[in-house]
Amino acid sequence: MLETLCYEEKDALLQNSHPAAVMLFLAVLFFQALLFAHPLYLMGIFIIIILAVVVSGAYEKCEPYLAMSLWVAVLLVIVNTLFVHTGQTVIWRSPVLPVLGRLDISLEAICYGAVMGVRFLIVLLAFALYNAVVHPDKIMSVFSRFAFKSALVLSLSTRMLPAVARDLTNVMEVQQMRGVQFGTGNLRERLRKYSWLLEVILISSLEGSLQIAEAMQARAFGSGPRSRYQRFPVRPRDGIIGLASILSVTLAVYAKARGFADYVYYPQLGTLAGNFPALVWPGLIALALLPVVLMGWGWRHCLSWRSKI
Amino acid sequence: MPASQNNIPVRLLLFLSLAIAMIALLLWKYRTLLIQDWGLTATLLIVLALLFLYLGFERSAVSVREIGVIAVLATVAAVARVPFAVIPGVQPTTFLVIVSGFVFGPRAGFMVGATAALVSNLFLGQGPWTPFQMLVWGLVGVSAGFLGLLAPRTGRIGMSIFSLVWGYLFGWLMNLWFWACFVQPLTWQTFLATYAASFIFDTLHASGNIALYMILGPQVVKVLKRFQRKLVFTITPTNP
Repeated sequence: MLETLCYEEKDALLQNSHPAAVMLFLAVLFFQALLFAHPLYLMGIFIIIILAVVVSGAYEKCEPYLAMSLWVAVLLVIVNTLFVHTGQTVIWRSPVLPVLGRLDISLEAICYGAVMGVRFLIVLLAFALYNAVVHPDKIMSVFSRFAFKSALVLSLSTRMLPAVARDLTNVMEVQQMRGVQFGTGNLRERLRKYSWLLEVILISSLEGSLQIAEAMQARAFGSGPRSRYQRFPVRPRDGIIGLASILSVTLAVYAKARGFADYVYYPQLGTLAGNFPALVWPGLIALALLPVVLMGWGWRHCLSWRSKI
Repeated sequence: MPASQNNIPVRLLLFLSLAIAMIALLLWKYRTLLIQDWGLTATLLIVLALLFLYLGFERSAVSVREIGVIAVLATVAAVARVPFAVIPGVQPTTFLVIVSGFVFGPRAGFMVGATAALVSNLFLGQGPWTPFQMLVWGLVGVSAGFLGLLAPRTGRIGMSIFSLVWGYLFGWLMNLWFWACFVQPLTWQTFLATYAASFIFDTLHASGNIALYMILGPQVVKVLKRFQRKLVFTITPTNP
């Protein structure tokens, strides 16, 4: 479980772009998901992120998140049914229950729960996509420009984690050979057995940390100003991803500030499409991000694109 | 480390008042917008808080050995998330972050907590919980660090109470964002409902913390203190 990264090389466009541009793209999706509560706007962003997941070949990684957001949607419907009694379109009225009284399940509560479920799914997918397309080394190399100590701690830790996980398995096996049975005993005994494990692994790893520090010092770490080497050229694709993200977020903030994206769920669902120009905005916001998805598709299917972008 | 942390209480006060002033200012400036968009505001505040905490680490004079030890403690705290998952509620990461902060100070405590959250999620899966775990575990480390500075002789009982409190606070702080972003309307009833839903898990976490500290706490603190002494030794050149 801890021996391989979630990242997997799949030769997708987003994996071959500048990490800062990809971060910006994902941050824009995340921000817009939290900015809007209007179903149409969320739907536009949702379509974009699903397409981005598919063209990045990250679908299997994202599947578990789907079930999680379904649970959230159900939970929100329950919470809203229990505590918000202002929904006017009652679908089902329960018999009188002890403590709770009569419960009304309203269309408003169900719609709200469903839309928030979609919102939660967008947020989850933005993180899942980040996990699938950004290699931790790349992002740390970007951050090491302005925060090299923190980036160093992070990359050291990322590097060591699989090794420590293997050590832990080894120690566990050694203990099992000597008769410690981790699966048996009451809670207290089991906790004690695992605690020994923790102590052993802590002491052995700490000894290792001093060796790392000495090795770094021997290679002149911290002896003077730091030099660095930038490995990521900025290519047209990074520019397109960046521009598309900035354009989309600008449109989103404008639409929100002008009040086009306001939507009421209670006491009665608002109309989805009021007047014509207001309806165009969600489409425009999603359309601005479409070039990223198209490029991702082209990266797979039109090999001649690769050399151009 | 000790030289740069002499005037901790003054800095702490300064930092706290700055943070409060900043939040108050933001709230006042955007008061109409905020009422609709608590979720976004909460997210923004978390990102800002994390940035400032990292900035503090960046600006400190930290040695190679400290970086190594912080990275290793964070790694062990991250790895420990998996094997202990078989015992419900036991979260050794919180325990390790508390003892690291207690021994190595607030700055190291923050780094251990935040790094453990971020790095373990690189393997277990990132999600919107990542920044939150980073911040909350980071705060666990910071507070344990201040406890270590202000009351270095805190014994087994005191530390157990401290772990208990963080067991609950951890879940409560994690709930806050979910409630602000996805639950509407933001009333006392929905607040209490969200918190009631997580109460059992928080209780398990808190009792797991106490059990771990009771079993392992004093030994681990001793081990870490020994390493701390190793960290600060300096080689004095022999006289010619």
